[in-house]
Amino acid sequence: MWTGEGEGKVLYVQTHGVSDPGRCATPFFLAASAAAMEVEVGIYFTMYGPTLLQKDVVDKIGPKGDVGQPLSYFIKQATDLGVKLYVCQPSLELNDLALDDLIDGVTMIGGAAFNDMAMQADAVVSF
Amino acid sequence: MPTTETPAQTLDCTGLQCPLPVIKTAQAIKTIEPGQVLELLATDPGVEPDMKAWSSRTGNELLAIDREGDVFHVFLRRNG
Repeated sequence: MWTGEGEGKVLYVQTHGVSDPGRCATPFFLAASAAAMEVEVGIYFTMYGPTLLQKDVVDKIGPKGDVGQPLSYFIKQATDLGVKLYVCQPSLELNDLALDDLIDGVTMIGGAAFNDMAMQADAVVSF
Repeated sequence: MPTTETPAQTLDCTGLQCPLPVIKTAQAIKTIEPGQVLELLATDPGVEPDMKAWSSRTGNELLAIDREGDVFHVFLRRNG
C-alpha cells in the first residue's frame, strides 16, 4: 500500500459519514496539506466513512451545507496531490454499499492491510 | 528577515484559507528552477507557522516573511 516514495507517511482515518457534514471535509484538508509537504498520504474510510465517497453524494454535501464548495472539490484537491483513498469491505456492508457505488480510485483493503499500513506510518490521525 | 532577491514568480493567495496557500505553494515551486525564489502573498493568519513547517519538511528554504498590513509576503527558495 505504501510505496515509500514520500518523505514520510501519514494515515488518516475517517469514521464519520453523511449524517455529520461538518466532519466530512477536514480529513481531506489535512491530507492535502500533508501531500503538499511531499508526504505519502492515505485516508481510510471505515464505520460510516464510506458513505462520504458515494458517486451520487459527493456533489450534494459539503462542510458548510449549501455555502462554499461541495465535498467533491475537496476530494479532488486531495487526490490530485496523490492522496490515496481506502475502504474496507465490512464497512461497505454496514452502509449497504458496494465498491461500484463509490467514486473511482478507491481501493478496497482489509483489516490486516490497514493495521500494517498503520504500523508503518509515521502518524495515524483518526476522526 | 529582509530579502533583496527578485522573485522568479509571485503567487497570490490573498483571501484563500488553509490548506490552499500550502497546496498552491507546493505546486508553484515546482514551476520555477532550483535556486530561484517564489514570493507567496497570503492573508491566512496561519501562513507563518505553515510555511515554516512546509519549508523545513520539503527542504525548500524560507528566506523571509514580511508583513504588510494583513498581507504576508513569504519568500521561498526552491531547493535542489
